[in-house]
Amino acid sequence: MGLFFCLLGAISFGLMGTTLKAAERRKANAAGLVVATYSWPALIMLAWTLLFTTGGKIPGKVFVIALIFGACAAVASLAFQMSISIGKVTVGWLIMNISAGTPVVISIWMYRESLTPLKMAAFGLALFSVYLLFWGQVIEKRALVRTPREGR
Amino acid sequence: MWFLLMLVILLTNGMSSFGLKMIAAWGLPPAIKYPYLTVWYAGGLAAIALPTFLKGLRVGSMEILWGGLAGVLSVVGQVAMAIALGSGVPGHVVFPTAIGGSIFVVALAGRLVFGERMNPPTALGVALGFSAVILLGVS
Repeated sequence: MGLFFCLLGAISFGLMGTTLKAAERRKANAAGLVVATYSWPALIMLAWTLLFTTGGKIPGKVFVIALIFGACAAVASLAFQMSISIGKVTVGWLIMNISAGTPVVISIWMYRESLTPLKMAAFGLALFSVYLLFWGQVIEKRALVRTPREGR
Repeated sequence: MWFLLMLVILLTNGMSSFGLKMIAAWGLPPAIKYPYLTVWYAGGLAAIALPTFLKGLRVGSMEILWGGLAGVLSVVGQVAMAIALGSGVPGHVVFPTAIGGSIFVVALAGRLVFGERMNPPTALGVALGFSAVILLGVS
C-alpha cells in the first residue's frame, strides 16, 4: 500500500511538471500561473492549520524563515516557468530536483553533517550533469543561430 | 538568459526546503510544520502576486485553470508521500521513487507529448542528473 502512494506521488509531481509545460504551450502568463499555483496550496494549508492544528502561536523566527523560504520557492517556480519557454521541460524539471543538493551542502557546512561517499558521488554526478546540460544548451543555441544562415 | 534561470532555480529552489531542517534543528514540535507551510505558501504567493499586480498583469481564467490543476497535483503528491512515509515505507525508498519517478514522467511527456529532442550531451546530462537525484534521495 505504501509503495502505491510512492508511485502516486511520483505520477502527481510528474503530471504537475507536464501541466506547467502544457500551460506554457498555450501561452499562459508565467507570473499569473505561479500565483494561481500557489493560491490553492496556500488555501488548503490555511484550512488544514485552522481545522486540525491545536496549540500556541507560530514563533516569530519560524514566521520569518517561512516567508523567506516560501518566497525562494515561488521565485524558483517563476524561473522554471520562464525557462521552459526557451528550453526543455525535462532539463528544467531535472534542475529543480538536482537543487535538492543545495540544502544538503549547507547542512554539511552549517550543522557539521557527515559527507558520506554516497553524498560525494551524488554531488560529483550532479555537477557533471549540470555541466553537460549547460554544454547541451550551448550546442543547441549555436545550431539555432546557424540554421537561418544556412537557409539563406 | 536560460543559464541565469537555471542558476536561480539551483539556488532558490534548493534553499526553499531548508526551513524544515532549521525547525528540526531548533527542536520545535513537529506540528509546527502545518502553520509553517501555511506561511511558506502565503510568502511565496505574496512574493509573486504583489509585483504581478503592481505591474498591472491580470491572472486570467487560463492561468487559474492550469495553475489550479498544478497546485492540486502538488498537494496530492505531498499527501501521497506523507501517507507512504506514515505507512512505514522508509525515506530512502519514498524520496528516490517519488523524485526519480516524476523526472521519468516529465521526460516521457517531454518526448512523446511535446516532441522534445535531446542532443548527446543533454541526454547524458539528464541520465547522470537522474542518477544523482536518486543517490541524493538514498543518502
